[in-house]
Amino acid sequence: MRKTNCKQIRRELDELMLGETWSAAATEHLSECAECREFHVQQTKLRKIVGSLGTIEAPADFDFRLRARLAKGASSAPAIYWRLVRSGLIAAALAVVVLLGVVAVRDAMRLGENPGEVARKPEVHQPVKADQAPPVIPEQKPSDHVVADVTPATIRKFRPTQQADYKKRPLSSIAISSTGASVLNGTQPAAMSTAFPIDSSAQSFTVSLEDGRGNAKTISVPTVSFGSQRIVQSGNQFAPKRDW
Amino acid sequence: MNTLTTIDELGFAPALQQDVLEDTTSDHALLEATRSGDQDAFAELVSRYRNQITSYIYRMTNDYDGAVDLAQETFVRVYRAADRYQRTYAFSTYIYRIATNLAISELRKRKRRKLVSLTGFFQPTDGGEAKELNPPDLRPLQDLELVDTERRNAVQRAIGTLPEKYRAPLILRDVDGRSYDEIAKILETSEGTVKSRISRARGFLREKMRAYL
Repeated sequence: MRKTNCKQIRRELDELMLGETWSAAATEHLSECAECREFHVQQTKLRKIVGSLGTIEAPADFDFRLRARLAKGASSAPAIYWRLVRSGLIAAALAVVVLLGVVAVRDAMRLGENPGEVARKPEVHQPVKADQAPPVIPEQKPSDHVVADVTPATIRKFRPTQQADYKKRPLSSIAISSTGASVLNGTQPAAMSTAFPIDSSAQSFTVSLEDGRGNAKTISVPTVSFGSQRIVQSGNQFAPKRDW
Repeated sequence: MNTLTTIDELGFAPALQQDVLEDTTSDHALLEATRSGDQDAFAELVSRYRNQITSYIYRMTNDYDGAVDLAQETFVRVYRAADRYQRTYAFSTYIYRIATNLAISELRKRKRRKLVSLTGFFQPTDGGEAKELNPPDLRPLQDLELVDTERRNAVQRAIGTLPEKYRAPLILRDVDGRSYDEIAKILETSEGTVKSRISRARGFLREKMRAYL
């Protein structure tokens, strides 16, 4: 009981500021308990010593140094600003790139999900029957080059970026399209076994060089052939079986 | 926020005119004025708290030059955050909180660097009580002033050995004479915790200062 009382009294004395008066119960206890009295004397002495440490003064040039520090911080503010702006621009550029990527992926997925649209397009790369004349396209210029079994309209319509190449040099191979072949009136494409030579160029390539002393050299590069590709009727397993 | 470009623009007046800033002007009002660009108001705040903050940080870190540097950093932070200051607490609580955080951060940095003072004490690794490296000199001194100085140095050293969680509340209470309520707000803890820590800190000090008591 007395121990508990000592603890309470010591706590009370500890929490008081120096010079504050304590309760009557504490006074009574201190008059009876020598241990608590000793504790209180030591505690008061200690607190006086600690309190005597007092306040340390700041140096005389404290304000001057602080002004310099603030001014330095203020002058460095634009640098921080530009750093933030730079990082913001980088973030914006990254966001644009990501956005473009998302749009491209979404468009690609939309095309893949809707094959009906593809099938409706009447184009396509299937060979024309031998006895049929290729469709005449009024705006097409007559060309010396023969584009084997491929309607130029198809190429122009679905491969606009390759049009210039077709004009420049003769094409002897088919540009394979991802679009499905159309079937007209339930007829399958004619039995074809047309071979398409795959050449890089139909003409040889000749270069004449002269070294200035009358010596001339002619370098001729022959037509390069990569073999041929044959299309057979049964190979078109993805062709639809009826009119859509 | 106002942009300061030169030192002169800050315009710290060495002696503020009393008709501009009365003694009764509150810290809050001075900070409001600082926010609106009144550099004299900030100068007044600095003059009010520079010694207190420097002293407090010095008691915490036991390094005068470092304390001055951290005190300046405290004012720089107050100045830069003037726009965001809210009157939730007293300004003194606010600035002491900044100072405490800086001082504790510095103490932790030192601990990481493992700078051990030769005049300090070994910190126990097993979580037990700190052991004294240099036991107090028990020889009687001949002069009262010297005794007093030696006692103050001893207590300063002893405070420096206290764990930071005991050190800050003890200094705020017994050196600066702040209330438990304010200390609790500064340290962002409960009043009960503050009382308990102060009591434990005094217990540690009493053991270390036994020869002087």
